[in-house]
Order: sequence, then structure tokens, then C-alpha cells
Amino acid sequence: MKLRITNYELRITNLLALWLVLLLCGLTVNAQLNSGALQNNNGKAGTFVIKNARIVTVSGAVIESGTVVIKDGKIAAVGATAAAPSGAEVIDGRGLSVYPGMIDAATNLGLIEIGLGAPGTVDTNELGDNNANEKAIIAVNPYSAFVNVSRNIGVTTVLTKPQSGLISGQSAVINLVGSTPGEMAVSANNALIINFPRVVAGFGGGFGGFGGPAPDFNELVRRRDTAVDGLKKTFKEALEYGRLQDAYAKDKTLPKPKTDLRMAAMVPFVRGEKPIIFSAERERDIKAVIKFADEMKVKAIILGGQEASKAATELKQKSIPVIFTNIYNLPVREDDAYDAFFAEAGKLQKAGVLFCIATDSETAVIRDLPEQAGIAAAFDLPKEEALKAVTLYPAQILGVADKLGSIEVGKIANIVVTDGDMLEARTKVKYLFINGRLLPLTSRHTELYEQFKDRKPNQ
Amino acid sequence: MNRSTTMKKGFLVTIIFCLFVFTVSVFGQTQDVLIKNATILTAANGTLLNTDILIQNGKIAKIGKNLTASSNAKVIDATGKFISPGIIDCHSHSMMDGSINEGSFSVTSMTRTRDIINSTDITLYRALAGGVTGLNLLHGSANAIGGQNTVVKAKYGKPIEELPIPDAPPGIKFALGENPKRSHFTPQPGQSRRYPASRMGVNEVIRDAFVRARDYKAEWDEYKAKVAKGDKTAVPPRKDLELEPIVEILEGKRYVHSHGYRAEEYLALLQLAEEFGFRVRTLQHGLEAYKIAPEIAKHGAGVSIFADYWGYKIEAWDAIPYNAAILWKNGVVVSINSDDDERMRRLNLDAAKIMKYGDVPEEEALKMVTLNPAKQLGIDKRTGSIEVGKDADIVIWTAHPFSVYSRVETTMIEGEVYFDRSTDAAKRQAMEKERQELEKADVNRAPGTGGGPPRVPSEKRKSDHDDAEKGGN
Amino acid sequence: MKKTIFALLAIISLCSLSVFAQSYAITNAKIVTVSGAPIDKGTIIIRDGLIQNVGAGISIPADSQVIDASGLTVYPGFFDAASSVGIAAPQAQAGRAPGQGGGFQQQQAQPTQPQSNSNFPTGMQPEVYAADLIKANDGSVETARNGGFTTVLSIPRERIFNGQSALINTAGDSVSEMLLRSPVALHISFVPLGASYPTSMMGTFSALRQIFLDAQRLQAWTNAYKKDPRGMKRPDSDKSLEALFPVLNREVPAAFNANTEIEIIRVLDFAKEFNLVPLIVGGQEAWKVTDRLKTSKAAVLLSLNFPKRTSSNAPDADPEPLETLRFRVEVPKCAARLKQAGVPFAFQSGGASASDFLSNAAKAVENGLSKDDALRSMTLNSAEIFNVADRLGSIEKGKIANLVVVRGDIFDRAKAITHVFVDGKMFEQKPPAPTGGRPQRPGGGGETPTTASSASVLNGAWNVTIEVPGQPLTGTINFTQQGDRLTGNVVTPLGTSDIKNGKANADGSFTFDQTVTFGGSTFDVTYSGKVSGNQVSGTVSTPQGAVPFSGTKKP
Repeated sequence: MKLRITNYELRITNLLALWLVLLLCGLTVNAQLNSGALQNNNGKAGTFVIKNARIVTVSGAVIESGTVVIKDGKIAAVGATAAAPSGAEVIDGRGLSVYPGMIDAATNLGLIEIGLGAPGTVDTNELGDNNANEKAIIAVNPYSAFVNVSRNIGVTTVLTKPQSGLISGQSAVINLVGSTPGEMAVSANNALIINFPRVVAGFGGGFGGFGGPAPDFNELVRRRDTAVDGLKKTFKEALEYGRLQDAYAKDKTLPKPKTDLRMAAMVPFVRGEKPIIFSAERERDIKAVIKFADEMKVKAIILGGQEASKAATELKQKSIPVIFTNIYNLPVREDDAYDAFFAEAGKLQKAGVLFCIATDSETAVIRDLPEQAGIAAAFDLPKEEALKAVTLYPAQILGVADKLGSIEVGKIANIVVTDGDMLEARTKVKYLFINGRLLPLTSRHTELYEQFKDRKPNQ
Repeated sequence: MNRSTTMKKGFLVTIIFCLFVFTVSVFGQTQDVLIKNATILTAANGTLLNTDILIQNGKIAKIGKNLTASSNAKVIDATGKFISPGIIDCHSHSMMDGSINEGSFSVTSMTRTRDIINSTDITLYRALAGGVTGLNLLHGSANAIGGQNTVVKAKYGKPIEELPIPDAPPGIKFALGENPKRSHFTPQPGQSRRYPASRMGVNEVIRDAFVRARDYKAEWDEYKAKVAKGDKTAVPPRKDLELEPIVEILEGKRYVHSHGYRAEEYLALLQLAEEFGFRVRTLQHGLEAYKIAPEIAKHGAGVSIFADYWGYKIEAWDAIPYNAAILWKNGVVVSINSDDDERMRRLNLDAAKIMKYGDVPEEEALKMVTLNPAKQLGIDKRTGSIEVGKDADIVIWTAHPFSVYSRVETTMIEGEVYFDRSTDAAKRQAMEKERQELEKADVNRAPGTGGGPPRVPSEKRKSDHDDAEKGGN
Repeated sequence: MKKTIFALLAIISLCSLSVFAQSYAITNAKIVTVSGAPIDKGTIIIRDGLIQNVGAGISIPADSQVIDASGLTVYPGFFDAASSVGIAAPQAQAGRAPGQGGGFQQQQAQPTQPQSNSNFPTGMQPEVYAADLIKANDGSVETARNGGFTTVLSIPRERIFNGQSALINTAGDSVSEMLLRSPVALHISFVPLGASYPTSMMGTFSALRQIFLDAQRLQAWTNAYKKDPRGMKRPDSDKSLEALFPVLNREVPAAFNANTEIEIIRVLDFAKEFNLVPLIVGGQEAWKVTDRLKTSKAAVLLSLNFPKRTSSNAPDADPEPLETLRFRVEVPKCAARLKQAGVPFAFQSGGASASDFLSNAAKAVENGLSKDDALRSMTLNSAEIFNVADRLGSIEKGKIANLVVVRGDIFDRAKAITHVFVDGKMFEQKPPAPTGGRPQRPGGGGETPTTASSASVLNGAWNVTIEVPGQPLTGTINFTQQGDRLTGNVVTPLGTSDIKNGKANADGSFTFDQTVTFGGSTFDVTYSGKVSGNQVSGTVSTPQGAVPFSGTKKP
């Protein structure tokens, strides 16, 4: 169900099917993707007041009946009795709840439109193992049909990321509004994405499966170890690169060191100034990341985290957070508990590990982010923690908690007004603000709905 | 048969045994079960508060307040709990050994999923833990006309013949669009394509099969007439397993469940069916069905869809979550399916989403994963809702099943417990203990020196499905 | 290395003494008759291939060559109730392309051996008879005999219809001399065809159903036509369908390869559909379905190829599923459980070596089967299942002189087979040369060339073509053979991977696994094949079906 395209898979796709797929689908894609004139309508800016609403601030106590003031794109006031500025548009929030927008900390939104059969809409993957200099923000499509569909259920911010090779590139934290990537950006060059080397097999499919490099176990172990060593070496080179550049900056009499885009891009990450997201699922691999991060003195974030609770002590000790992305995966081994992944977030929370819940799947699944958090709550994660796991915690993990993740004065006004618990599947979003802009709740889906809901034959 | 490929991994003998003991001693067929004081979502007659259900001989015997049972009945206090009918997944490829597709021909109506089902498949247990009690096990979608389906109850670990619902009408898989075109099938380098490679061709393959089936039937009729006249020289025609099920479709004895996406391919199929005088039972996936809802209603087909899954391939680009609402408003019987071992575990939440998109009432949404799939599969007389006389296929939830915070506590089929969360916890410990014992055995120890490569760990579990975007075919 | 040489010597020193004796007298032997009480010190007189007399205090004819068996035990010759002794691995056909759907009609299954004039593709031909395929001089015949197996059921190796088996004695100058019964059973496996329908297990069931139906119809038609042909369309002559008549008429059992519980249930259901006489070949989980087996009156040819863990320990590895762990522990208990339930069964090698056969039979004894029953399961039970108990399976006057003479108890680890008699012909095993002794010259000691050279017959690089439908893949298999261990790698244009679980047999046949990745997915494929001279051929079994491969040795 969950689709994570590996570098290799993509290569195969390209090699074997590119011509075919292009032939079959290329023209159709263009025709269809260009429909939907209202896509990513940026709504309207202004001063807004939501009154008499239940305000779930997330960072503080719930205000059973209060006011939120939105001005200049920010939250200007929040409280039981905040004053409404003159000229503000007033929304009566009686019976409604106000939440901070949800944040999906692992997506490919804007980089992949149609994963299968439309390679022309896929921009997550690059050739080569080190693409530290590549930046998601360069390629994000603000007019992706998934922007509106995702934000309409209350996901206002996502981390979107490249995903191929060893060092995939730099992710971006974007708000789901804006006409350009720049307008969307909250943190344009966020964490570096690294597919931490590990011993892993996929699952079967396709006829016979001839032709690929076969993952003999010992070979896999050797490859993994080599790759980890190589990664260390790359990190050390980047440190050295930074040192030489700094030395030259101070003393221009030194010979000018050559610029290397990849190395230059890595410097802030290998110096621990900016975080690195390492994908790792199994206990052994998570512990390997912890060891690596400790040794290289970098700021690590775990992505995946199937068995993160087994490394909870170390994660907590080293303050390494986890972006947990496995709610919608079947337990891998037949002997695993049926609820292994449902219950994992609750275990992390109990152990005091900073974590968030993210989808990291097909872009269509972003819409299930609230449901995923809710399922974790059904399996022993406290409800308020489940809400934090898709609001404040991802903001903290991605280093944007000063701007996002809760309803606090001064934060970006990403506000979702609902008719019920935001995590519930039945709940409807009534009003939506991103960057303080009131957005129409339209999407490609509502357009098609309007077009067809009352259709009669031959009309 | 190769053990590793054909043997879907069962759970634990001990576990099955535990369940067996548990069910026989506690919920045995002969023992009555009384569930007290629950909130019952009947999927037929609204929601009943503080109500009891009495189960006798696997059937719902009584529904009402303050029911009493015989002294040896098992009594479950469900105060604060919710009860729904068991979920029925109208599109599944679970519990099958080997390939779910016979991909060689464009028409493989001779194949039967019944031949390869395996009740010890762990995915079945995981489905039970999500409240699933019934499944429509379909052939894959590699062929314009695929194999024959099997409608089963999720009786995990039971002898295989106990799973198929005996009075479920037989059905067959059809498939339209990219999958029978094989456009997402990764061919071997240079491998030739199979006819058809276009939607036009898919339609013609189906038409051709019906023409052949009609001729086949005529041939038999002619033979029977000869025999009736006492012609001793008449030779019976060959019994053709490919065409027999297609004749059954023509005779209205076999349901067509057709995979497809686009509106026009479905219209073409409905027209073809009308031309040949049969009714398509369900459109499976039908992500664009909303575009032709009146036509579908007129034809009388049901539609079995994803709640809100979309955009994973070109065919799914026009999918909208309002699909169910539009179809429902047009009077079409709609079900929400999973086509996936993972999604199967949360169909209750998929149904909940339907309420959000297009104002479908709660009970109608619930029916889309219970009574409606039962109707589509022709088993609604015995299951799909909580009504007196029906099979006791029942799920006890900790909260309203449409709440993300709900969890399955107990799943029963015909009054027998197949999943119980507290029993499950006890099983885990037994398994760990058993593992430690088993690993001590000589045959389970790694060879001292040499030895083959160890098991490469996986981070994914194969989830049986037939949509090409997920790696199937 | 020393071990290997030792093992080699042990094999090649068992040789036929081409003496002129017409009669043998085995004296002072402990005789385990199986049919009756054992005789502590007795004599067996062998003449004209038969047991002329057996008992204590029997006078010895003057012309008998006397074998003093003091301290030795004589058993009836052992049966291997399922093997492919004498039959080489199938030759792959090159350059075959699958039918292409050029119109409405489905692809027709393409016969892979058009020269056979069958209406069905290779792998779906029930008219394949072991008796036509067995080679009397095949190395595997002698290998079996050396292990004490005087009678084997030999099964052709095709895919779905493996073919019809023959019961043979393991010595003779010609097949006709060796044959005891043919056909014994029609063997059926669920190994889909690689290139054409059926390509799945599901399709295999359907294809089998159709061919049995077609045979039923043809038989009825043929019978009607024989009675009175006038005015009736002439029935086709179809040797494939005709080969099924005796199976449908319950004269020849249908022997299904089925090991696990669900596999056995499926094939019993299938047999019931057509009222066939079922035999289960494999049956390692048969103990779970004894009731069904009894209802179906099915006997089990129980595999003694017991599973055991072969993978080494590694911290990165995944734990094995409980199911696997449990299966390995339960398998050796199967025989005792079948016995207790009253299900008839006979031991077969399941491809295991003769020494594994005997040591695993001993494990069945450790797991609750009595020694007598274990011995019976490789002698008289087998003879009964194959309807030859009137001439084989026990040491009785008048039965065929198939005997095994053993130093020690056959189920003890410390034992040695000293003589094997097949049809009254004696094959004597000399004591193995002392360890460290020089290897004998190739061909010395009367050893067959195949076995003698098997130590290295696979070594080297082989250019192969894997017949992936529509796209033959060319590549190289590099073999390193050490005894029965096979290592090396497979190189194809798109990658290289190591050989796993490689096993080489004395007859030049081999099997190995390979893990392959394709489209981001990995899974295991199994190669099985055989080398003959500088030719190699066999099949690759994949989760999606099996395909043939063939090739030649790189000079």
C-alpha cells in the first residue's frame, strides 16, 4: 500500500517502461492536469476574528469559548475575551472548534503528482548517491491538485522531500498556499534527507524477477557497511571543506579553495547547525543512526521508526526525535502483533521520546493524517498527544515551532475551524486560514462534485 | 507444490488451539450468548441504545431490552460499548496462495479462487482485528474476464471448506482499462504484449467471449434435443470450463463483478450486458461511477468503491470522495471496499469519511461496509445487519466504529469468537515462549560452520491487491 | 578435503562382482524378515534371482557361493517410494516464444515439444512414461543401489503432469530387465508452466480439471463408438487424454505432490471431484489431516527429506517465522502419527541422499515410530502400496532376492552396508580405504564414470540461456563444486548474484537458489538442472511460474 520508490526501482521503471508509459500516458496527463482553474486559489488576506468558538490551542489549555484574531498573516490575539479590531471580518464560531493547522512531516507533495504511469509528474528522484545540494523548494508545484485536497481537511503545512539515493537532498517545509514555491516556504531549506544504509529486502512481484542485482545477504551487509563508512567519509570531507572555506574567508592570502556545490550544501548539516532526517525502521538500524549521529555530532531525526520504541532509551538520551510513518503499514512479520504499528506511537510517548506522526506515502494519503493520529490514540496514545503528534510536535521536530504548531500570539495564522474533533474522520472543516488568508474550501474534487452531483442523462 | 510459496503462513497451532478451546468452551455453537446493554448500530433499523442481543445456534435470536438467557449462556456486559454488524469487504485478494492472477489469457473464466484459498493466512486474522467478518475473494484484474470469486466468512484457522458461504451466488471477475490492457505490467525486456492493448480491445474480448458462450450453449441445446429424440449417435459437446461460467452469466446465475475506472468503459460494459440480456452486479472501484450514476441506477448495478483513495494513476485521476454520495442519491447500492490487506483493517473509518463528503447519513454510510456489500454479494438474507434471524456476525467496539478512537474488542462470526483483544494479548506471551522452546531444537539451530545466507529482513509486508500501482498486475 | 576423499572412496568401492555364481548362500546371518519373526542365526539361499529358502539350519547347496554373514544382518531390499532414479532432467527447448494474442481467441498453449505430436504442452502431458525415459546405465541407479535401495519408484520430472511412474529394481542391463510395474501412478505437481497457460497455481487446477473432463468425454465417446460406429462422428485419437483413462477408471492412482496441510486438502478435494485414487507424495504435514486421508483412502509416500535450518546466524537477519520453526520440529513426528492414525505410508527420499534417508528414518524412530514400523515403511509397506507385496518387501521363500546386508543396525549411525542383492545379483561393498589413502584412479573399482567424475563435473563457467517468455536472457553460471556442495554465482546482463543452498548430486544434477531483485522487489528463484557432458539444462522456478534454461560449458 505504502509506496516508497527507491532509486533502483525508479531506474528500472525508467529503463523498461519509460517509452511505453510516455507513449500511453504523456498526452493524457497534460490534458488532465491542466484542468481545474481554481487549483490553489489563494483566497483573501485581511483581518479576521473568530468568536465564541472552542479554541484548542494545543500549546495551552483549551478555551471553551473564546476569540482568535488574525491579522497580517499572524495570530494577533487569542483568549476568552480578546478584543476584535475594527474593520475585521467576524466569524461566529458558536458550536465550532478552532485548531492549529496540521503538519505532515513527511510527504512528496508538489514533487510527485501521479506516481504511477506519469513519470512526467515525478520530481523526487535524482541520479547519483549524493544530492545534498538539491532542494525540494526548487521543484515544488504550487498548483498540484493535492494542495487543495490536503489543506481542505486541515493539513496546512507539509515537509516535502526528495527521496532517492543515499543523500537525497534538502527538504522544504511549506504552507499549502501561495503562487510560487517561495510564497509557500516556511523553511525553504529544512532538513537534509539521508536514506541511512541498511540491510533490507523488498517484497515479491513481477515475473520471475530476473536481471536485478540480487541482494545476497552477506553482500548486503558488506554494501551497508561500505555505505556507512562512505557516508562518514563524506561527512568528514564536508567538515574539512567548511574549515578550509572559513579559513580562506578569514585570510584571503590563502589559496582560494575550489567550490564544490555538494560539499558546500552539506556544511551546515555536518556541523550540526541544521537537522538531518535519517530513514530507519528496525531497531538495529535506528541504533546505528544514533551511533552515527553521536560520532559525527550531527542533529538527527529518525524517519520511519517501526521499532523506535526498542531504542527509546537512547533516542531520549540523545534527544533524537522520530517521525513515525507506519500507521498504514501491515506488521512486517507474520508473528508480529496485529497492532504493532498502531501501538508504537503510544510507546514512544510513554518513553518520553519526541515524535510526530506523518504519512510518508502516496500524496493522496496526506488526507488521512488526522485519521492516522486518531488510530494511534485508539491504541493507547492519549488523545491530546495524538493531536500534538500532527501539530506542535512536527513543528518542534522541524524547527518551526516558533512559527507553527499551536494557536499562540505571533505565530503564523494557520487555523482550521471545524464542526468537531479535528482528528475524527467525520469532522468537516468549516473555515480554513493559511498564512492568515481565508481560503475557499474548493478543490479539484469539489469542482467535479459540483459538475456531476445533479447530472441527468442527456443534459 | 513448493512449500515456501504455497504455504501462507499460519499463525500458531497453539494459538488456533487456544482460540478453539476458547470458542468451544465459552462460545460453542450449542452455548447461547447474551450481550448486554450495548449501543447497537443495526445497519437496518437505526441505533438501539442500552439493548441486548441474544445469540442462539450462531444466529441472532432476540434483540431487545432486559433479555434473559439460559443459566449456562455466556453473558457479555457491553455497557458503554458499540456493536455493529461484521464488516464485509466486497473486494479482496486475501488468503490466496500463489498468484491472484492467471495472467496468460485475456479470458480466464475457468479459474477459481476457491482452489487456492488458505484459512491460515495471517492477514485474515488481522482483518478480523479490524472487524471484518466477510470477504469477496476476487481473481486479479489482469484479464478482461478473470476467474470465479469466492465469498467467505473470515473463519481464520478453520477447515477451508467451512469458509465459503454455501448459499452465496457464484460470481466472476471482469476487468476494464489499464490492467487487462497490461499497461502497467512490467514486461520482461522485449516481452511481447498480450491482446488487448486498448479499451476498445477489452470490450471486444468480452463481446467475443459472450458470442462464443452463446454458440456453446446452442451446441449443447442441440445435443440435448437430439438425445431427447432418441438419437443414439449424438456426441455430447465438450464441457468447456471457460465458457460454462459465461453461460451462467447469460442465464442470470452468476454475478459479474467488474473492475474498472473510467465512466465510458463502464457505460460500454453496461450496454454490452444489456445487449446480451444480463445485469452487471457490481462495478468494482468505479472511481468515475459518479459521472454516470443515473445510467448505473437504471441498469441496476451496484458499485463498490474506495472511500477517498485517488490520484495514484491516470485512471484514478478523476476519483472524488463524493462518489458514494452521488451514487447513493441516485439510488445505487454502494459499498466501500479495500482491495488491500492493510486497508481492509480500517474500512469502518473509510465508511465514516463518506459522511463528510456529500452528507450521507450515518446508517447509510455504515451500510456501505455491511449490508450493502452483503446485498451486492447476494448474502444479505443471512448477514450484513443486526436483525433477528441473521447470522451473528458481530463486532464489539470500544467506541462508535466511525470514531478514529474506536478499537475492536471482539469479532464474532456466527456467534463464535474469532478475535478478542484480551485473548490476543495472552497469545503473544504464549508465542514468545514457544519460540524460545522451538529455537532450542537442533533442526532450528544455525549450522556450526558454513550455512546458507540468513533471512534478509524486510521493512514491508506484501499486501495482496491487484491494482498495478501497488506492484501487482 | 580428507573427508571428501574418504566419502568418494566409500562410494566408488561398492562394486558389482561379475562372478558366475548362480546361487548364493548367506549364512550365520541375523535375518530380519519383516513379514515374520527375525531369525537370529539363519541362512538364505538365493537362486535364479529368487529367495529359494530361508531359515535356521538349512542345508547349503553345493553350488552356492557361501557368504559368511556372521555378525551381519540381512534386511529385505529397501524401497525409495518416490524418486527419479534413472531419469535425466528434462532438456529445455530453445527459442520458444509464447503465443501472441493476435485476435479474439486466447493464446493457445504452445507445445514445447512439437515432435511429440501431443495436443498438450510439455508439462501437461500425462502420456509421459518413466518406463520410456529410464536409462539402465544412469549413474543414479547405482547410487540408489549403493545406498541399499533395491527397488525404487521412478517418476518423470515434467511440471504439472510429471508423468507416469515405474517401479524398477536397481540393477539390470536393460530397463525391461529392471521393470517391475509400469505405470504405477500418474504424478501431478502444481508447478505452473512458464510460458503458457497455466502460469499460476490457480490456473493449474483449472487446466487439470479441463483435461480430466475432456478425457472423461473422450472415453465415453470412444466406448460408444466401439460399440456401434455407424452414424457417429469418429472420436479423436488423443494419446494424452487416453493416458488418463486408467486414472479415471481407478486402475492407476493419481499421485499428488503435496506437503502441507492445505496442499493435501486441496489435492484430496480434487481427487474426489473425479473419483481418482489419491496418493500423497511428500506428506510432511499429513499428520494434520489423517481423518481426511482415511476417508479418501489415500496412502502417503512420506518424504524423508526433513527440513532443517541451513542459514547461518547474523545480527542483521530477521528471526524465522514460528511456522517455519514449528514445521521443522513436527516433521520427524509425522510417521509415528500416521501409523497411530492408521494411515498407510511408505518412506521416500524426497531427493535426499541415501544416508539422509536412513538417518532421518532413524529420527522418525526417535520421534515415536517403532523400529519395526520404520523398517516396514521402507520395505513391505511400500510393496503393499505398489501392489508387489507378493514378490517383494520381505524375506520370504519364493520372493525376489532383493536383500541388504548390513554390519550393525540399519538405524544406528555406526553401520555399513556390506552387500546388496538385486534380483539375486550380488553387489559387494568393500570396506572403505583407510583415511588418507591415495585416491583411486578414476574409473577404478568398477565405479560408473558419472559418479566418479561428479566431484568436479559442474565446475567451471556455463553459458546459459534462460527462456524468459519472449525474452530469452543470456548469462553465465559459475559453479564451484565441492562434493555435494555447490557455490558460485549467476551473471546476467543486469546483475550478478551468488548461488545459495547449492546442492550437487552424483548424477550431475543440481539445485540452487538465487535471490533476485526486479522492479524493486526481491524474491527467491530455484534452479534445478543437470549437466551432461558439456551440456547443461533445467528449469528456473519463480513465484510467477517456471521457465527452462539450457546452455553449454565455456571451453
